[in-house]
Amino acid sequence: MELGRILKRLDYVLLFAVLALTAIGITLIGSATHINLVSEDRYWYVQRQSMFAVFNLIFIFFSLRFDYRLLEDMSKRLYIFNLVMLLAVMFFGHAALGAQRWIQIGPVSIQPSEFSKIIMIVALSAFINKRLDNLDSFWSWFPVFGYVLVPFLLVMKQPDLGTALVFAAILLGLMIICGFKKKFFVRLFGIGVVSAPLLWMVLHDYQKMRLKVFLDPGLEPQGAGYHVIQSMIAIGSGMLTGKGLFSGTQSQLDFLPENHTDFIFAVAGEEFGFIGTTIILLLYLVVIYRGLNIAMNATDDFGTLLATGIVSMFVFHVLVNVGMTAGIMPVTGVPLPFMSYGVSSLTTNMVLIGLLLNINMRQQKLTFK
Amino acid sequence: MLNKKYAYRLELLMIASMVIFAVLIGRMAYLQLYQGDYYYRLSEGNRVRAVKILAPRGIIYDCNGEELVKNEPGFVVSLLRTNKKPDMVVINKLAGIIEVSPEQILEKIKQNEDSYEPIRIKSNLSAAMVTKIEERSEELPGILLELQSIRKYVNNELAVHVLGYVGEVSEYEISKGKNTELKVGSIVGKFGLERYYDNYLRGTDGSYREEVDVAGRVVQTLDELPPKPGQGLVLTVDAKLQREAEKIVDEHLKYLRSSGFAPKANAAAIVAIDPRNGAIKALVSRPGFNPNLFVNGISSKDWQAINDNPFDPMSNKVISGEYPPGSTFKIVTGSAALETGKVTPQEMIFDSGKHWLIPMGNAEGEALGWLNFHKALAASDNVYFYEMGNRVGIDVLKKYAALFGFGKTTGIDLFGENEGIIASPEYKMKVFDEDWYLGDTFNAAIGQGFNLATPIQLAVMLSAVANNGDIYKPHLVEKIVNDDGSVVKEIKPEKIGRLPVSAETLELLQSALKAVAQEGGTAAQMANLSVPVAGKTGTAENPHGKDHGLFVGYAPADNPNLVVVAVIDQGGFGSVSAAPIVQRIFEYVFPPKQPAIVNTQKKQ
Repeated sequence: MELGRILKRLDYVLLFAVLALTAIGITLIGSATHINLVSEDRYWYVQRQSMFAVFNLIFIFFSLRFDYRLLEDMSKRLYIFNLVMLLAVMFFGHAALGAQRWIQIGPVSIQPSEFSKIIMIVALSAFINKRLDNLDSFWSWFPVFGYVLVPFLLVMKQPDLGTALVFAAILLGLMIICGFKKKFFVRLFGIGVVSAPLLWMVLHDYQKMRLKVFLDPGLEPQGAGYHVIQSMIAIGSGMLTGKGLFSGTQSQLDFLPENHTDFIFAVAGEEFGFIGTTIILLLYLVVIYRGLNIAMNATDDFGTLLATGIVSMFVFHVLVNVGMTAGIMPVTGVPLPFMSYGVSSLTTNMVLIGLLLNINMRQQKLTFK
Repeated sequence: MLNKKYAYRLELLMIASMVIFAVLIGRMAYLQLYQGDYYYRLSEGNRVRAVKILAPRGIIYDCNGEELVKNEPGFVVSLLRTNKKPDMVVINKLAGIIEVSPEQILEKIKQNEDSYEPIRIKSNLSAAMVTKIEERSEELPGILLELQSIRKYVNNELAVHVLGYVGEVSEYEISKGKNTELKVGSIVGKFGLERYYDNYLRGTDGSYREEVDVAGRVVQTLDELPPKPGQGLVLTVDAKLQREAEKIVDEHLKYLRSSGFAPKANAAAIVAIDPRNGAIKALVSRPGFNPNLFVNGISSKDWQAINDNPFDPMSNKVISGEYPPGSTFKIVTGSAALETGKVTPQEMIFDSGKHWLIPMGNAEGEALGWLNFHKALAASDNVYFYEMGNRVGIDVLKKYAALFGFGKTTGIDLFGENEGIIASPEYKMKVFDEDWYLGDTFNAAIGQGFNLATPIQLAVMLSAVANNGDIYKPHLVEKIVNDDGSVVKEIKPEKIGRLPVSAETLELLQSALKAVAQEGGTAAQMANLSVPVAGKTGTAENPHGKDHGLFVGYAPADNPNLVVVAVIDQGGFGSVSAAPIVQRIFEYVFPPKQPAIVNTQKKQ
């Protein structure tokens, strides 16, 4: 596809929302990492995040030339590559913050579990697409579940409960769009309840603690609960209009932990107030709306499945991350798409947006009613 | 096509997403709008915590620079503020260590709910408590040991009614409008000079601000405002004389009780004052108590012991004890008669043992025969002064009593001074609803009946007589000094009035009072002192028990520089109970002349 058609068929609303979120994110990363204070490395985070945002945009534009349908044929190889990568993390990765998630490749640490989100969406969409005519019975879904379960367990083992749950969220989105019946959900729920104690045993102690702390933040005020309390103070103290950029005491004085990554939304809440948080959340809603619109208008089922999987992932990320900073979700290491610092996460999200744009570009002209 | 077949499912996903975002925005509205103020306050409190640096209270010195009250370092245990509920496990552990009930700790926490400063739980911990808290600090998160200066009364009971004591401000006091600028638990003067001069002694607490997080961990210290130490007091009181006076009083009270002369002689008031300026040199009230007991909150056992003592150790009887002045009042009656010309110094009046109008006589019924003023006062004849009362009348007597300082406070720099009572028909009518009789005038004339005076009033009255008529305000503080010793304020002798008597009358009074302590006077035993003494005995009728004994005296009689007043509650005759105390104090101040040892040594 030549450049003119690409530009003509771009979903500019989606692109605008994503770029706005990325720009807000970079600004807040600057605030959270004290860009306003003199220090040797004060531009480091902002530079890296901006650089990768630009790289990714360029990459997206190039990738738009290729039809996303090519991915369907690659899905099996991607799936296997994903498993290898996750195993590699287990054996060669280095640990940080209680989890073994990174692999060092040259100068960059990458977080394979981030990229495995893309692969899971692609591979699972292809896997389901092949079986679309045979998914009427409850049991016909079990190969699909098994297909997700293997990487799910590998990620859990890292341990990265957040990413594992992202897989589950993607699966859920695809189940919904594939007509998974209500009574099937009831049955699945039954199985879930029965196997819950088993899952509890698989969890690491610190994960159990986080869940307990979620139920009672006062339980461990100096540990996991401390983060949530500080985050809620940060958001709440922003009130309607916020304390202003660089003026959030919670984030500037480092009361807020991980303020440039997982808790970036609390910085937004403190410095930009209710007006800021509402605008940010509405921008995400625009992304989701455009994503579902693309799913609705895709010319093939693979495109619909891809778009739905991508949207499901974004919804889950925003819900879990914002919910965590606001004290209504447990603490899991789920970053906020486009805003949290982290080049792996940013790249993943941008690539997924590239996929959405790609599907949109090759759609039939129908609008979401 | 999926998106045709299950288009409604995509719509469902959109609706579900909108619900999720509505919940998130709703949560933001709750945190930022509904609870925004609360979280804003938390973030402010989070950021900066003001930590008080307690100002050391001013030191109190005697007139020779001896430290009477000082500060000692002590430990106080505090609880850090956090925005969570207090941990009962920690509180119970702490309660066990510092021997305070958990309820009391919770009460303290409740009282300081609005504060972000650490809450002081208990001051002046014992060394054992400090060690235990330090050893178990890991089990006691949020519990903090702070250094605090503790008030120390160097000589325990010595001069307690002068010095007073300090204690924590109670919520009740603040609610009553006292010390409203202070927080519950701040240390203030509660009694004595500690209370009267609290504003000078207290100083201004300093503070520093530190950035802390919610768990109380210090992020950084911001700025420091050093405390302004309290200003010190230099007293007029002479600790050596005070010590001696207390020793003499205690010994004599013990003697009075053990000899059977006055078994209930437990309470007494003694004050020594310089008549030339009103400077109080010693002040003793009995029984006393140890002010150190009060510094950190008195134990209920100690409090009960003080409270149950029928002789009320907490009252300063020199300023609040009201006694009939007895024969010491004859100075007033005599002055009134002389000044109004109702009698001349030379006029002789016959004491037959009883007055001719009303059969009232001397205490022991003795008859002293013909008497002039000088002899009558020296011998303390009742009949003569009944007649003086009869001649001047109660209204003039009342007027003179007021001019001699009775019936109103002296203005000494202590709280709790009483006014006493001047006998008058109006008073009798008001309180007893009875008419005034001549007998009442007779009683009033010799200081019995309705007259009541505080020992300090007697001291001021006698000082004026000794000082040729000038009345000075009694005071305990000579100057207020900064902690570097520089003088903030000098308290100058304050002349507050003049006796309404002529120089001749004064001379006569002085000479008669001198005769009291000579051969033939009621305090003849004082004739042997190294300096001549003037004085007056008194025995105040006490309807509730044995009479109170009084003695007021000054020395040297010709050029007085010390007035001593002693009142022994239920001590019996003043000459036996009170005069020996005054005598021994004079003996201490004016020691008998030693043989010239230096000269004999030279000769050898």
